[in-house]
Amino acid sequence: MASSTPKSDPTDEELMDAYVDGDEAAFRVLFERYAPILLRLTRRHLRDDELAEEIVQQTFFRLHGARNDFRRGSKLRPWVMTIAMNLVREHWRRTKRRKMTSLEVETQAAPEADFMPLELRQRSELLHVALEKLPTSQREVVELHWFQERPYAEVAQIVGTSEGAVRVRAHRAYSTLKQLLVLEIRGDE
Amino acid sequence: MTSGSKRPETDLGERLRELDAPESPGNAELMERMFCNVKAECEQSDRSIRGFFRSRSTMARRAIVLSVFAVLAVVGWFAFPLVGDQARTVQWTISLVTFCVLLVIAMFMVTRPVHLPALPRWQSLCLVCIALGATVLAAFWPHPAAQAATHDHGGSVMAGACMGVGLLLGIPVYALLRLVDRGNALGSLVAAAAAGVAGNFVLKAHCAVPGTSHELLGHASVAVLFVLGLGLVHRFVPAK
Repeated sequence: MASSTPKSDPTDEELMDAYVDGDEAAFRVLFERYAPILLRLTRRHLRDDELAEEIVQQTFFRLHGARNDFRRGSKLRPWVMTIAMNLVREHWRRTKRRKMTSLEVETQAAPEADFMPLELRQRSELLHVALEKLPTSQREVVELHWFQERPYAEVAQIVGTSEGAVRVRAHRAYSTLKQLLVLEIRGDE
Repeated sequence: MTSGSKRPETDLGERLRELDAPESPGNAELMERMFCNVKAECEQSDRSIRGFFRSRSTMARRAIVLSVFAVLAVVGWFAFPLVGDQARTVQWTISLVTFCVLLVIAMFMVTRPVHLPALPRWQSLCLVCIALGATVLAAFWPHPAAQAATHDHGGSVMAGACMGVGLLLGIPVYALLRLVDRGNALGSLVAAAAAGVAGNFVLKAHCAVPGTSHELLGHASVAVLFVLGLGLVHRFVPAK
């Protein structure tokens, strides 16, 4: 098996092609590129570091298993995001965690809370709680559209619905979040 | 700004950005540990038969399953005697075709690529219910009574034998579908339903014992046992 990466600063797709052809080093580069993104994504969704790490690892394990399905010319990012979101959704289904009370949610540690200033941590906590109140379908869209900066068309591809439906979900989610934040600010005053 | 997207207003945007917490020190160590875990798991999987099947392309996995189904069907069709001419009614043909269609649908569901959005749970549950319903419905389309004269078996004994044969035949189908499944939600239950349907297909094609009660006890029960049995296993022994 070859052990060198294809060339300097290759694209994700070039790396994946190289990995499919047997270049193990390309998998490592892909991991270094995507694991931090996925870890932030899963931590925001699950608010459990250990579980988030497990899901990121499972995402790459599944990517490895599905590598022969990757076609030249395809985009890798939607692939990876879809696998991760499927795993997160499956986790919610299994644990039915969405039915937890907001009190239970608030008692959990915010991700990487130790490294954030107190005020920012509190604001982050409130935002997390606000995000928790969104339906899963809307939350996924906020995650992919806002945090991952994916266009609506790609978000639609990842969550498996139409672009129009994604726009509607995003609009509703942002409106709900804004309302929640207004309530929060009034509460502070 | 991402093309084709409309971001929320600045205030909300800033607040959302706050959730992107700074990376903690020691992140490199964490990444290294995670990568080592992934590598170890991949290498272990590559050495197993299951890993071999799962890492084939979706087209290859589907071709493998369809080939195995086809070989089993052809061998079974010619190696063992089919039901008599009188029993080959329109209902009998419809039952066999329905079982085939259900098997193919189950195969497509189980081999669905993981990079596509997961199918909703209701679709899998719907297939399982239809599979069970089809096997029960087929039992109400028994062979003509004339066939009864040619078979002098004890009904309950034969029902037990049919059930045993159906369960035995369904096991390889279940095992094959689990081998090619990359971890779809409810894949185990769909494979169990497919195994039950496969058992019913063979029994319907070859068993000439007439009577609704026999088919309910000996044939339809195969699918029910597969689904309930593996459903319970799935319920109380959750997958990793």
